[in-house]
Amino acid sequence: MSTPTQTPPNSSGTQTQKPEELRVGVFVCHCGLNIAGTVDVHAVAEYAKTIPDVVFVKENRYTCADPGQEEIRKAIREQKLNRVVVAACSPRMHEPTFRRTVAEAGLNSYLYEMANIREFASWCHQSDPEGATERAKDAVRMAVAKVRLMQPLQTIEVPVTNKALIIGGGIAGMNAALDLAEQGFKVYMLENTQSIGGHMAALDKTFPTLDCSICIEGPKMVDCARHPNITIFASSDLVKVDGYIGNFKVKIRKNPRYVIPEKCTGCGECKDVCPIEYPNEWDMNLGTRKAISVPFDQTVPLIYQINRDYCIECYKCTEVCGERQAIDFNQKPEEVDIEVGAIIVSTGFDVYEPYDMPLLGYGKYPNVITSMEFERLILAAGPTGGKVIRQSDGQKPHRIAFIQCVGSRDKQHYPYCSNFCCMYTLKHVVQIKEKYKEDVEVYVFYMDIRSPGKGYEEFYDRARERGVNFIRGRVSRIDEDPVTHNLTVHSEDSILGAPIEVEADMVVLATAAIPKKGSAEIARILNLSRGQDGFFMEAHPKLKPMDAPTDGIFFAGACAGLKDIPFSVSQGSGAASRAATVISKPKWKIEPIISVVDESKCKSCGLCVDKCPYGAIRIEQKGKTPAQIITASCHGCGTCVAECPQHAITQMHFTDAQIMAQIRAALQDKPEDKILAILCNWCSYAGADLAGISRFDYPSSVRAIRVMCSGRVAREFVLEALRLGAGMVLVGACHLPYDCHYISGNYKMKARTDALKNMLVKLGMSPDRFRVEYVSAAEGIHYAEVIKEIDEQRKALGIEKIKAENAKLKPIIENMLKRK
Amino acid sequence: MPFKSQKKDAADALTLEWNLHVKNYKLTLDKNRCVGCEICTFACPKEAIKTEKQPKIQGEKAKKAKVDIDLAKCNFCGVCDVICPYGAIKVTLNNNHDLAILSKDSFPTLIRDIKVDTRQCEKECVECENACPLALIKISKTGFDGKPVENVGALSPTMKRRIQVNLNIDKDHCPTCRACELKCSPGAIKVKKAFEGTIKINQEKCPEGCTDCLDVCPITGTLTLGEDKKVHVNEATCTYCGACKNVCPVPEALTLKRTKVHHTPIHSGTWNKTLERVTSPAAAAKEYRTVAGENRRNVVAKRFVLEETVK
Repeated sequence: MSTPTQTPPNSSGTQTQKPEELRVGVFVCHCGLNIAGTVDVHAVAEYAKTIPDVVFVKENRYTCADPGQEEIRKAIREQKLNRVVVAACSPRMHEPTFRRTVAEAGLNSYLYEMANIREFASWCHQSDPEGATERAKDAVRMAVAKVRLMQPLQTIEVPVTNKALIIGGGIAGMNAALDLAEQGFKVYMLENTQSIGGHMAALDKTFPTLDCSICIEGPKMVDCARHPNITIFASSDLVKVDGYIGNFKVKIRKNPRYVIPEKCTGCGECKDVCPIEYPNEWDMNLGTRKAISVPFDQTVPLIYQINRDYCIECYKCTEVCGERQAIDFNQKPEEVDIEVGAIIVSTGFDVYEPYDMPLLGYGKYPNVITSMEFERLILAAGPTGGKVIRQSDGQKPHRIAFIQCVGSRDKQHYPYCSNFCCMYTLKHVVQIKEKYKEDVEVYVFYMDIRSPGKGYEEFYDRARERGVNFIRGRVSRIDEDPVTHNLTVHSEDSILGAPIEVEADMVVLATAAIPKKGSAEIARILNLSRGQDGFFMEAHPKLKPMDAPTDGIFFAGACAGLKDIPFSVSQGSGAASRAATVISKPKWKIEPIISVVDESKCKSCGLCVDKCPYGAIRIEQKGKTPAQIITASCHGCGTCVAECPQHAITQMHFTDAQIMAQIRAALQDKPEDKILAILCNWCSYAGADLAGISRFDYPSSVRAIRVMCSGRVAREFVLEALRLGAGMVLVGACHLPYDCHYISGNYKMKARTDALKNMLVKLGMSPDRFRVEYVSAAEGIHYAEVIKEIDEQRKALGIEKIKAENAKLKPIIENMLKRK
Repeated sequence: MPFKSQKKDAADALTLEWNLHVKNYKLTLDKNRCVGCEICTFACPKEAIKTEKQPKIQGEKAKKAKVDIDLAKCNFCGVCDVICPYGAIKVTLNNNHDLAILSKDSFPTLIRDIKVDTRQCEKECVECENACPLALIKISKTGFDGKPVENVGALSPTMKRRIQVNLNIDKDHCPTCRACELKCSPGAIKVKKAFEGTIKINQEKCPEGCTDCLDVCPITGTLTLGEDKKVHVNEATCTYCGACKNVCPVPEALTLKRTKVHHTPIHSGTWNKTLERVTSPAAAAKEYRTVAGENRRNVVAKRFVLEETVK
């Protein structure tokens, strides 16, 4: 693979060269009233005119709209602007938009910077318009300070492997696979269980049409197996993923089935002679399967598998398999390497089993079951042949109580709504009523019936017309009669406003759907982040619902938040389309914000090689040859830059000089009153954005600087801020241990800042004044609270104390910075 | 995914259960019948059974080793049920004792070869009933009219001659110790032991005054205290279960080897491994060498590493 490399800039550190006269244009966006409603945008624009090198200032109502963009293009051409600052929303929102805009006007797209005055000023300081305006002015000044030092960069082009990997073969993954395969791309499907099909293959009927689930899904499963462009790896695990968009190198472990796939004909004779049975997980453990078996008849791929946890190795199966010789007890795990250009994650969800809710008696009372278990009971191909019977006596129940929101919408367990439980319970009650008519009385205890889909409300009506008793109220406990094993459900009826008791022969719990077991492992391997609920985080909840924050990785289905079947199917197709935008191209452009080594300064110490999370730095002979950066492997976190003792490494677009200039601009006036925050792009900056989006108000004394990764935060940044007299310093990072978008940048930062803080405290700084905080992209409220807390600490310390400490620290820090 | 299962450890029984909605698998270990031998531990293909030596309290008799079964490892296959010489373990599916390993020919049954010819019985004799150390024999007598006879001595000689003696032996729980056969003077009972082997006590190694093995031996009379205050073996009634070996404080003092297990013909990898562990690889190899073992050896050799032991 040949990729163009960046030439090192001819300057680094604190010196800069001005190759030409700087002409900076500043565009202040009103964003309707989103910004102008709080921030005095005219004052900001007027202030911008006073900043050195700014030659043109313009206000726009909506800068991102076509006319606004045209203004920028026009100004670049007419005013001969060679640097552009847009003071508008978060760069995580519109940075790519304006990069394109300036490029269209002939300016290099890396000569533009964004000042975030919406999420970081107007939206989060609504109670303090003056403070917000001050912060906006400072943001513009900081952006101008940075943009003055920016250099034109060329995007790097890498070749693209036009294949895709789909992780998880449920209904979403299968649709994605089929869509991509139909478009002519090679698709690998990875499934950790024995069969593709996911939860849908275990369902009886689907709401609201009551189609037979496996009848509509089965053909799709077979299509996946037969499609020449699809290769299925079932019973396989994801081991490792290296690389980047267009060029992922994936290691898959095929777990031993002890059956040779090519030789197994799927005849099932082995199953008949096997003496051992074990609980069938796919049957919700209501029934059993043989130690050599397939989980269900429609299994795809139809290859038998031996469960060695239960097999007693009598070899009756090998005897009956005979000439076919498909059984191999010596099979070992096999690792397969594949290369793909895009990855779709469709790992789905799990169903909560309420063993830890003793008041409901699940696991203790035999006639309390979950909805998924009920699904297997009512299914004709299920362990009871479609008969709804009680475990305690094998008799048909005549009174069934359904309890909604077990675990979901429950602060003790899972605070979110599980999306589809109301609908599947309605399906169950309709099925019972249509099957047994008046013979079975049905009660549904619900909090709210949520039926917001096509035909869903009508389906709810259908259930009510069938004479189902809907009782609005939360169930407090269930008691059992130890002799008859009948149950008493204690609840409130919030419509009657009175407690009620209902006797039932069987209780069905609609339990929460929860993040798939192993999500943490997938997140670690693919560098994904997960929200507080444990589901994967999208790049943007509204505009990029299927994109992971890592380029080239997409989501489909319930793994990124719970979805029902139609929604999962559409997301499968959507993710396929998103993946096709990558793998249909012969080349992909990568942002050139990578690191470059100044060979004249490099002492070949090898520290950067050790610290690089991606192994993207090479030294051929330690102590002799300078470090080399493998451009295509560099992800641009900047950890090596912060670590290099010689200052020999520069991160393009986030150079030391640029960040130092931002720090200086931020602390120009009244530094003692300010909180200087350096935030990593993926978690803490996104969390701060979310605080703005959610309109969480926090003190306006904070001045935020964006770096790609907290690993980029060099000691000098903190020292410089304190030298300039900053009141408080905050470094924001992704949560330990696995949230870091760059694998381990947060750990490197932690080691560095822990030592630094110790030193500063020994030198007489109050410990509160320098703080590292871990904020995820989902923790807007946490960010707002952290800033509030720091601001209170700042006020508590008092300006005089801060000034006194700074006076003491300044000569020492100056001495330290001079040495460097 | 956890499933509904439970383990109950009561004073007289250890119960393991899988409560699957339509299937109830249950394993019951009768602690009164269990003698604390280690045959089930050796036999279990999932290594789910542990035999734990109980601490000895000074001045008290030694306690038999305790058998514990791991619910997470047990697969309710029933191998322990079949192999237990004392019939202490019972595995059922929905309260039905038909084991799939037997019906699918994956495991043999132990041959408890007990032949009784009651025609030779002396009408008043109850020796065997008294001799059985586990009280598994019940003698009943019926008159010519088929009615049970209580007091044989009170009958006239003619009537006495016409008495039918019935011997009810609880074969499921019989360890085939031969105690009844040895006591039977007319030779009406013939017993072939299910397990064959050797047992030796090296009295020189025995600690002074130790009778631990004797304390736990379930077959009275197999181990006896000699005049030298040391324990001696009467191998005639030994079942080679190993309960004594489990409690012996000096490993070299008591050696016990099982060399042969009498079982129905079988063709199964599970049995091969069980046999190897319950006896010894060498003893198992001996079985493979028999003509009946020929086919089995072929199957095993084709697929398995046991080849070395076969040679």
